[in-house]
Amino acid sequence: MTTTCAEGQTLPAATASPAAGLRRGTFILRLGALAMFALIMLYFALTARGFATPYNIFNVIEQTAIMGILSFGMSVVLIGGGTDVQTGGIDLSIAANAGLCAAIYAIMLAGGWTDGPAVAVTLAVGVGVGLLNAVAVVRLGILPLLATLAVMNIAAGLELTVTENSVIGASSPLTQLIATGRFAGLSALAWIIIVFSLVMTWGIHYSSLGMRLYAVGGHPEAARAAGLNVGLYVAGTYVFSGLCASLAAILLVARLSASTTATGQLLLAILAAALLGTVFSRRFVPTAGGTIMATLFIGFLANGFQLSNVSYYWVNGVQGVLILMVVAVTTFAKPSGK
Amino acid sequence: MSESASFRPPWWDRVRDASDYAVIVALLVIVTGFSIAAPSFLTTANLYNLILNNVVLLAIVAIAMTLVVSSGGIDLSVGVSVDMASMAFIMLLAGGSTVIVAMAAGIGAALMVGVLNALLITQLKISPFLATLGVLFIGQSTQKIASGGGKPIYLANAKFAPTFNAIVKSEFFGIPTPMIVLGVVAIGVYVILHRSVFGRYVRALGAQPGVAWYSGIRVPFHTSLVYIIAAGLCGVTGILLSSTVKSYVPLSGDGYLLDAIGATFIGTTISSERRPSVVGTLIGVLLLAVTRNGLLLVGWNFYWQQVGIGVLVFAVLALSFGLKGRGH
Repeated sequence: MTTTCAEGQTLPAATASPAAGLRRGTFILRLGALAMFALIMLYFALTARGFATPYNIFNVIEQTAIMGILSFGMSVVLIGGGTDVQTGGIDLSIAANAGLCAAIYAIMLAGGWTDGPAVAVTLAVGVGVGLLNAVAVVRLGILPLLATLAVMNIAAGLELTVTENSVIGASSPLTQLIATGRFAGLSALAWIIIVFSLVMTWGIHYSSLGMRLYAVGGHPEAARAAGLNVGLYVAGTYVFSGLCASLAAILLVARLSASTTATGQLLLAILAAALLGTVFSRRFVPTAGGTIMATLFIGFLANGFQLSNVSYYWVNGVQGVLILMVVAVTTFAKPSGK
Repeated sequence: MSESASFRPPWWDRVRDASDYAVIVALLVIVTGFSIAAPSFLTTANLYNLILNNVVLLAIVAIAMTLVVSSGGIDLSVGVSVDMASMAFIMLLAGGSTVIVAMAAGIGAALMVGVLNALLITQLKISPFLATLGVLFIGQSTQKIASGGGKPIYLANAKFAPTFNAIVKSEFFGIPTPMIVLGVVAIGVYVILHRSVFGRYVRALGAQPGVAWYSGIRVPFHTSLVYIIAAGLCGVTGILLSSTVKSYVPLSGDGYLLDAIGATFIGTTISSERRPSVVGTLIGVLLLAVTRNGLLLVGWNFYWQQVGIGVLVFAVLALSFGLKGRGH
């Protein structure tokens, strides 16, 4: 956790500007969000039996693997499309897409296909849905909110159609490996999310691709003037989000040994994780570190409540309150009010 | 499309103008298509049922959403307002309160959701997306706690029947009350949004928030009112909904959220600046409701209906936005 915290915090080399004081203010308040996260963890560690054990911590990390991959997909779309409430980038279809991919993967495995073709088709479906979003947003110029809403309906409807709204059990060598494999003391799922997070952190913050993506999302006109093919980058984010959906779908089937009908309901949690992640960053944009922090935050909250024997009725509400508190604390630090 | 901006034939402008009518044309084509494909579609009984059961409730929520979207925000908690009103209304009725008190409490509960949204957005400066998302989570939890994990409250007892019938089965001048409510809401919000100073300020907020602020428009005040009015309208929906089904079913309002957003943004395609409007939203609601009803009559099952609606909405949007060229 500590390694990821350090991620978004690299302060700019002290530029002597009037904004420097303000920047220090945001830094302190951003620490406030982290401190709040730490306090809540501490509270659970002291009160909930078994919370602060390595077993439980890795259990939560495994549980967040699926959410984490989906949140990264959403974050990349937010980075490339900007975070405007109505016209910015958003992928409402990501959860429904994951559900459709999981259904297709499970059906193919249950139908006797081997992992090779099943995985290939699953990835193709996820990327295909992403391409549809990309065409709708970039080529046709439909608002992302609206385009992905329509695609969400299509994907959710197709999932219902192919599964007839039932759970489809499936298992294969690959799903066995993902669900039960262990390397160097860590489970396969934990490895997957750790490696995925590292790759994403590099891709978003340390590669020129990530730098250009921020430019495209933050200031499309400037990016275009600088010679970037803005449309191509934005389209790429939706395709990537589709890819994330299909990867998460494979993990989902592996973890449950089945496809479920409830995958589409993850949408709000994914949005919450991706948006909450922005408060952990200096400029309030999605970052890899922020996304990881937010996903873990939500995962640990649910787990802590479970271990504290708090009725699950309360979990959503307390999560909602905490998200609002964290966001409120940090948005006060925003350099300029609108 | 934007790359070939150097030369455009003269008829192109007319095609672009025509894109504003794509949704209306699509609606007409769909109505005509279903009239031919399903003989029972264009009967008075079906249209009556369609409007009363599929259009009215969604339309009121969608009009509330239109108000919020016009101000540059979004309200993910519309379902919570619907449910809170429904919950307070049914619980008080079950507890023996009079209809007026129960209704007032229902609307009051919904207004509180609006006030909460307004406080979070204007005082704590949380973005509308996150604020209303948080309220949605809190609202879902509140309902689960209040209803013991989501158990519905049915008021099937005959003594409640006259109350519910007085609300949803009554008629004025031969028009069912829910339709009158929709009419009042639609005209009321139309006047507020498109014909009043308040509406002009609200639309200014949505189009140019910075300019609105520098022009001396009281941004927090107007923003707050928008969210509170929207929640109140959803409260009206909640009372109509629970009177129709004679019960409070927890989380049932959430079903309106995505359709309301869809209808509002589909509605933006009828304005050349792609801004939300009450008329546009009503057309969006009709498009969704007619398609759902028509596909049912043609014999598609629920699963395929969803695919069908997705494809149709996608096609209409593609036509409308595609003809227009790149949005900006």
